Amino acid sequence: MTKAERRELQERQRAAKAAKTAAGPAAGTPTVNVKGGGGGKLAQPSTPASPAPKKGGTSQGAAQAKALAAAVVTGPAKGAKDAKAAAGVGEDIVGSRGLRIFSHFALQKTAGHVAKGDVHPAIVRLGLMFAEFKVCGANARCIATLSVFKQVIQDYVTPQHNTLSRHLNTHLSVQISHLVSARPMSVTMGNAIRQLKLEISGSDIDLPEQDAKDELCHKIDNYIRDRIIIADQVIQETAMKKIHDGDVVLTYARSSVVEQVLLEAWSEGTQFSVYVVDSRPMLEGKRLLSVLAAASIPCTYLLLPALGSVITEISTVFVGAHSIHSNGAVYSRAGTALVAMMAKQHSVPVVVCCETYKFSEGVQLDSFTKNELAPLGDRFSSFPLTRPRESLTLQNRPNLEILNPLYDLTPPSSITAVVTEVGVIPPDSISSIPLALGRQMI
Amino acid sequence: MTSASSRSILTHSIPEHEEAFSPSFDIYEAYQRALTNPEVRVSPYPSSFLSDSLHKISAPLAAILSLTELITQSDAGTMFELVKALNDGAEALKKRVHNPIGLNAGSELFIAFVTLFPHESASFSELKTELVRQGQIYATEALLFRPKIAELALGFIKDDSIILTHSYSRVVMQTLLHAHKRKRISVYVTEARPRGLGIKTCEALTAAGIPCTVVLDSAVAYVMDKVDFILVGSEAVVESGGLINAVGSNQMAIIAKAANKPFYALAESYKFHRLFPLSQDDLPTHNPGILSFSQPQHHLTPELVARPSVSSTSRPALKTSINSSSTPNTLLPASSVQRTMTDEQISRNPDVDYTRPDLISLVFSDVGILTPEGVSQYLVGMFAG
Repeated sequence: MTKAERRELQERQRAAKAAKTAAGPAAGTPTVNVKGGGGGKLAQPSTPASPAPKKGGTSQGAAQAKALAAAVVTGPAKGAKDAKAAAGVGEDIVGSRGLRIFSHFALQKTAGHVAKGDVHPAIVRLGLMFAEFKVCGANARCIATLSVFKQVIQDYVTPQHNTLSRHLNTHLSVQISHLVSARPMSVTMGNAIRQLKLEISGSDIDLPEQDAKDELCHKIDNYIRDRIIIADQVIQETAMKKIHDGDVVLTYARSSVVEQVLLEAWSEGTQFSVYVVDSRPMLEGKRLLSVLAAASIPCTYLLLPALGSVITEISTVFVGAHSIHSNGAVYSRAGTALVAMMAKQHSVPVVVCCETYKFSEGVQLDSFTKNELAPLGDRFSSFPLTRPRESLTLQNRPNLEILNPLYDLTPPSSITAVVTEVGVIPPDSISSIPLALGRQMI
Repeated sequence: MTSASSRSILTHSIPEHEEAFSPSFDIYEAYQRALTNPEVRVSPYPSSFLSDSLHKISAPLAAILSLTELITQSDAGTMFELVKALNDGAEALKKRVHNPIGLNAGSELFIAFVTLFPHESASFSELKTELVRQGQIYATEALLFRPKIAELALGFIKDDSIILTHSYSRVVMQTLLHAHKRKRISVYVTEARPRGLGIKTCEALTAAGIPCTVVLDSAVAYVMDKVDFILVGSEAVVESGGLINAVGSNQMAIIAKAANKPFYALAESYKFHRLFPLSQDDLPTHNPGILSFSQPQHHLTPELVARPSVSSTSRPALKTSINSSSTPNTLLPASSVQRTMTDEQISRNPDVDYTRPDLISLVFSDVGILTPEGVSQYLVGMFAG
């Protein structure tokens, strides 16, 4: 902890310095201050021509140059949002020819970004793990965030002349914006954080500080238990009943819930086989494959282009979800829509396993308005590689920019059923779930 | 998959007696009694509502009545015990009945009602009496659902309509008879093999003075151009908004969709069932015996098995259906060949099928005229909350 504290202090000093330099005339300063004070991101002094491979193969010297240009163009940024916008603008100006319209997809954050303000060391650590896709997946990220927030709350001391219920939220906001700067927030995190903030502002002023903190931590534990862990168990039990003897189940990429459903159904003695469909660049299906194969479930592994030749053999398609919109559209790993539409075309039922806390209020009409970029490179491959990993993957080059959207949107028309902890429901009726559960639950 | 067919088809009919409630009480008997001899006699409503088509009450209501009887018989002292006894009772009942979908819907509704019923009574026995009373009141009131549906559907029946219906359904009968009082209608009804209930419908309608013609199940596509819309009853309406009904409804809905004719389903709200079949195999009535392939009796060469029409050797099991195939049918006198399915062949066929929600135009129910999505939203609101 002492090491972390020291690091925190160091980082705070650096942030303060960065803020100071940003306050001055940024255009004239020789300091490479990428995002001004707002973003709190210091660029590594690396030349644009030589990307450093240790940044997970995602190093973007060009991006830094663009960001630098942004700082030059827009001058001192006023806040985090300005800085973000500025980065986007900068990319447009300097940026590559073809992908200007995708500039709003979040930029890959490299390990170099520095915390701004009073950021808890555990948050810094989590931010790095998010940025590096070490923690990935809607449930995993939400649980990780909430667990770290427990630590943050326990280490928090209410300043004088202030109350916990009023001040803790602002303290948390700093942590959250740090996490968001590492990787855009998932819908699950958003829902959980909204609930947490509600609990904080509702906590009793007269309660001793430690008691209030313990109560909040207890509430966080309950949230994780009720909305994620137990919900997953209920979903497993429900979805399992949809797998019958002799079925051929198809799944795409890797969803923790689907994995559990398949394992559970197998341990109950149902005889079925699984087709794991996978796709570059993440190749997450390999992990699922290894888990299923270890449980001795008969599996077949194939890549997305081969889907057409096997789809006629499939009895049911099971997929997970990142989030689900109120019109019933499912936002999930890129490629899911393709699988679902293909299955729909061949009258194969498509079942989405999704907890109710993944429900998103908004309606999204395509996967273009909001998306993320997948990390470059084959990060999740556990396959033994004889050549260095970088040589196998494409890199951004002057005339080549790689676009790997992380998610896509499956329209409700190609989904048969959504398995939630409150039952199996058709996608059209998703909007009635928050009403049935009561507003405050979501 | 077919190798699993060796399992007994009749497993569901084997009774098990391990229930938590008093062994002297037989819920199946109570169910049968409720089905055949309902409490209609004590109904406070004028008997004109209860036309002859209501001699028997439907399975969900019979299930509710038999469960109320179970409450009176049960010695449960707590809510937990009572709900457990009810669940066990419903389970026992399910095992005894050939097609449990309808009664499942009823017992599910009643158990949900018992679980959510606010306890204000002083003692538990009082609460039980209250629950029994509520159950019986519901069953009595539910008899009014059909006239209500008939009234709702009337607005959709234009004068001089030609209606296609399937098999025999009490709510459809009531609707048609009700419509006949005000409008001129004519009805095509499918024969609905193997039970041939369409003939019963035709007889009842003709007796009431409605022009009615029985059509073959295989002639649905032929008759589809002539009809204005399709009206079917239902065994259950499921959470997807789809329909479970006598086999043949699904193909009727598909043809109706292809011909752009509205397909209306009539369902009392106690038939709304918390179930989500993904496909026909996913229905609770499905068992490995349904649609399994029969093993050839004689050891024939594979080609002969694959193309039975070539075979001229005598094969007693398949005689009825195949014997004549070498000769053109028209040359045979109709009486010389019995071309009917054997009981064994019929037993390999499903009783009910599942109609997808996108094939259904509207569901008429006592809670209103709903779209299939509306049904699922209603169900989510009823059970998920």
